[in-house]
Amino acid sequence: MSDDKELYKGYREPCLAIMKRFGITVWSEVRAHTSRGQFEGLVLPRSETSDADHLVLKLISGYNMGIRYDTIESLEKTGYREAHYKIPEKAFPTDPSKPRVKLLGTGGTIASRLDYRTGAVIPAFSPGELYGSVPELADICNLDTDKLFGVFSENMGPEQYLTLAENVGAAIAKGYDGVVIGHGTDTMHHTAAALSFMVQNPPVPVIMVGSQRSSDRPSSDAAQNLLSATWAAAHGPIAEVMVCMFGPTSDRYNLLHRGTRVRKMHSSYRSTFRTLGDIPLAMVECGKVEPLKKDYAPRRDDRNVTIQAFFEERVTLLYYYPNMHPDLLESMIDLGYKGIIIAGTGLGHVNRKIYPALEHAKRAGVQVYMTLQTLWGFVQMHVYETGREILELGVVPLANMLPEVGYIKLGWALGVHPNDPEAAKQLMMTSVAGEMTSREPHDGYLIFQGGIPEVKDFLERVWQ
Amino acid sequence: MSNTSADPRFATDFNPRTDPPLDFTDKSLGEMTADDYRALGFMCGLEVHQQILTRGKLFCRCPAGRRAHELDAEVLRHMRPTLSELGEYDGTALMEFKTKKEIVYLLERESVCTYEIDDTPPFEIDEEAVKTSIEVASLFNLNLVSELHVMRKQYLDGSIPTGFQRTAMIGLSGSIPFRVPELGVDRELRIRQLSLEEDSCREVSDVGHRITFWTDRLGTPLTEAVTEPELLTPLEVFAGAHLVARTAQITGKVRRGPGAARQDTNVSVAGGRRTEIKGVQHHSALPLLVHVEAFRQLNLLRVKAELKHRGVPSEMLQLPVKGLPWELSPLVADVGDALRGVDFGPIRDALETGQTVACVRLPTFAGLLAHTTQPGVTFAREFAERVRVISCLTARPFMIHSDVKDYGISSTKWRQLRQRLHANKWDALMVVWGPTADVATAAREICNRAQDALAGVPAETRQAFVDGTTGFERILPGADRMYPDTDTPPLRIPNQWVADIQSDLPERPWNRLLRYEALGLSPALARSLEQASWSFLFDGLGLHEGALARRVAFALERCLPYLRRSGVDPWLPAAMRVRPLIEAVENQRVRVEALEACLCALVSEPDVQSDKILARFMIKKDEPAKLEVLADQIGERLVEIGAKGEDVALRWAMGQVMPHMLGRMSPAVVEGKLKEVLAARSHP
Ligand SMILES: [Zn+2]
Repeated sequence: MSDDKELYKGYREPCLAIMKRFGITVWSEVRAHTSRGQFEGLVLPRSETSDADHLVLKLISGYNMGIRYDTIESLEKTGYREAHYKIPEKAFPTDPSKPRVKLLGTGGTIASRLDYRTGAVIPAFSPGELYGSVPELADICNLDTDKLFGVFSENMGPEQYLTLAENVGAAIAKGYDGVVIGHGTDTMHHTAAALSFMVQNPPVPVIMVGSQRSSDRPSSDAAQNLLSATWAAAHGPIAEVMVCMFGPTSDRYNLLHRGTRVRKMHSSYRSTFRTLGDIPLAMVECGKVEPLKKDYAPRRDDRNVTIQAFFEERVTLLYYYPNMHPDLLESMIDLGYKGIIIAGTGLGHVNRKIYPALEHAKRAGVQVYMTLQTLWGFVQMHVYETGREILELGVVPLANMLPEVGYIKLGWALGVHPNDPEAAKQLMMTSVAGEMTSREPHDGYLIFQGGIPEVKDFLERVWQ
Repeated sequence: MSNTSADPRFATDFNPRTDPPLDFTDKSLGEMTADDYRALGFMCGLEVHQQILTRGKLFCRCPAGRRAHELDAEVLRHMRPTLSELGEYDGTALMEFKTKKEIVYLLERESVCTYEIDDTPPFEIDEEAVKTSIEVASLFNLNLVSELHVMRKQYLDGSIPTGFQRTAMIGLSGSIPFRVPELGVDRELRIRQLSLEEDSCREVSDVGHRITFWTDRLGTPLTEAVTEPELLTPLEVFAGAHLVARTAQITGKVRRGPGAARQDTNVSVAGGRRTEIKGVQHHSALPLLVHVEAFRQLNLLRVKAELKHRGVPSEMLQLPVKGLPWELSPLVADVGDALRGVDFGPIRDALETGQTVACVRLPTFAGLLAHTTQPGVTFAREFAERVRVISCLTARPFMIHSDVKDYGISSTKWRQLRQRLHANKWDALMVVWGPTADVATAAREICNRAQDALAGVPAETRQAFVDGTTGFERILPGADRMYPDTDTPPLRIPNQWVADIQSDLPERPWNRLLRYEALGLSPALARSLEQASWSFLFDGLGLHEGALARRVAFALERCLPYLRRSGVDPWLPAAMRVRPLIEAVENQRVRVEALEACLCALVSEPDVQSDKILARFMIKKDEPAKLEVLADQIGERLVEIGAKGEDVALRWAMGQVMPHMLGRMSPAVVEGKLKEVLAARSHP
């Protein structure tokens, strides 16, 4: 049966029966006689998510097309052509005068090549494969790689955070000059926050990188991201947990964002990662790291780092909306959640309706913290009556901590102090890795409004 | 490197005949016969691109057909080559990578969104565009796919920000009747395929390392129809292009106007290989372009034969791929010192600004660089164009060579260079200058082109110039540049769609032509009517075979373009406005001679009711009396002229009277009357 699966990869009834009738499997070259005329090509595997009615042919011209089963009169097998695609391994050149960088893989593809027939992306990950596809890496450093897991970004979770933190610790201990982590972009900022708390005061850069356009396309941001991240890890002066992604949408420079202040802000733009409430740490361009902030943690020669790989999973993030009913909060308490981050409105508000539930949480020892769905600005609960009332109910304001960062931090803090809620609370209220800042610079909040003449002028001059 | 390129659509790039007629005399387009082209082994295929008339673009909801007026922003990108199927870089990729171009896209908010600049995945494919392309494919009698798969066709030249064009196969293997009586052509023209794809950007400029594009046109749906390479003379290419374009236009669902239709031609001659001339907008430019290209290939094959005779092996022209060639190869030298203070401005200026001047020795190439390959163009330009495009040199000029004696540097200097490079009299030298890195690329490219010369005709795409010559554009892309677009799901083409479309197909142009000929129209008149915008008006008149049909076709052809030229809006009346005129002529209430004038009035006076206009042209009872008066009025003068001969006098008199009598009275009757008057007055 499993053989059949390979032979008829992805095909189900009614196509399957027709293929069997005419002795056709995937990778067969066929001449198909159909009610819509004659077609010649190579039978490709069928995607599992596509319908069951069509046979996919790759034509000699390189085009693919589907033939519907009920148009097929006969299939004539004229040959067989199977190929397996592999990234060529080329020995990564070593140069003792260059720094050593460790690349940890989580499953997102940063470098890859294509199976030109199916369109499947074949990831390049080993140093040899990476050298084959991004040879410029060898000009930057000596590269070692470890593939830790193969999960999509959306499936990254506490288990992976812990493994990742431990591996970063190990790489630092082994004397690497920098660590690069390849990661899917969707939850990169969650993982960046987790590592910021779990790997404290690293002596070398720990840099997360991914791509918004997969590397099988010529316009991909992958190579520039990988090269910039690797450069910053090998040579950059900043020893923090950071995200390194495109600055503008143009291919010009990358930005290094602090792991606790960065957020993915657009579903598909290349310049999707932004530092919120502050300015980015640095620009990276053509082998040069240009710090924008002065108060970064500098690279050190020692190997001292605090690894605190813990996470309490019973925490949650509640996005408040007007007229929210208390039963939501109640059910979280009943389900045994130990901590709740609320993303509140305005300066950190929720409606009176849920006060009883907040009171219940307090009684039940469930910690409740306030962050902002405005993303920018500080929680300031003393300004209005509502805020003061909520404070009375034991809700703890988290200054300008981003909601997702609050969620990650709470999981970590309760993990570090599983039996000491008060210590966890103290930890939450102390800035560990820049997640809460004492002040917001005037240009920490910049969302330009399109269409305004001066913005248009700016874009014309500066965007590219 | 170019030797490995191949377009997968063409089983082979090479002309099936391998015997170039090297001793064939070069002739001009006008001097060539069909037999001459047969002797050359000339063959040509077409790729006809036709924008489809949709409101929106193919994969996003931006308006199609809008030309940008205002610059809102610019985006800068680079194209990084991707690994081929074999894990290597293919010819084009390598070339474009070598150029290290900065690509700038100009954006206007109204005409593009984040999709076009590759910051958003594609939206659903435009259904109208799919249906129109099914209609066009049906007109070509193509076998239709039952599920449409969007593919990515890689382009690294920057013309599409993603680095690939989204394209989908619609139909394959069709043919249409190809009948051109004046060329003696009466056969089928096979159509290989029709695909639906998104249009690319408009190039604004390409200078040095920076290429700039407008993005407004990007993403507009277009069909690409590919013919088999079966057009055997330049005039057949013209006729074929016309036929293919016309077939798409007959749907009424395609865009017209500048840039809406563009064709690429694939030309080869015996012993040569397919070269592609890109983006020709006017059919009338095609014959000369393909003719000149045929002889360019023949002349490159002559150069090849001579080089073979001289016996230089390809390996001798190989330069190391990395590093500075003048440090690594005896074929190249940095000759900045030798040429310092030389009495030639471009080189002197280059040296004064710290640029590099290199000299490349091409063993056994002496004399060949001056060989003519196109009218007014020598073989040396093949090198210069490759170097300009690939190494991005911008100075003018940026190179000279030893086959030209009276330009550039003195013969003493050439002698010094020969000594320096150990060149003998059979060797040619090329001197190239510019920024160091670019000159290194240039030296390599000179050797690459020289190696290609040993193989004959390089596989390249060429751009068309107005004088009929072409210039190097890029190496033809490699075979494996097509792969599935994982961003778009396959689209099922239901039987119902096909049935609906095919039950309502417009009449095919060749059928229409036959129908017109059957009505009694001459082949030429039938053809011009078939292509005319008023052919639908003609069809609506319900004419029967015979003289009247001919007359109406003629009248339309004379009247409408005339009115248009004289500034009247090309408003076409509905058939029901014109039909009473036809009936009146049939019933002899309006003379057939008045048809054209009445038709013109119906068109140019749209606000006047048709019966009022018709009334003006009706045959009236008082006409004999009116003729009498007119004849009387000119009688005296008629006799005077009559002295010079009757014919002259009558011709003059008809000219005077007929405009007043047109359509009211047959010219024969008028002439009879005038003869009568002349006779009566001359001999009283
Ligand atoms: Zn758009």
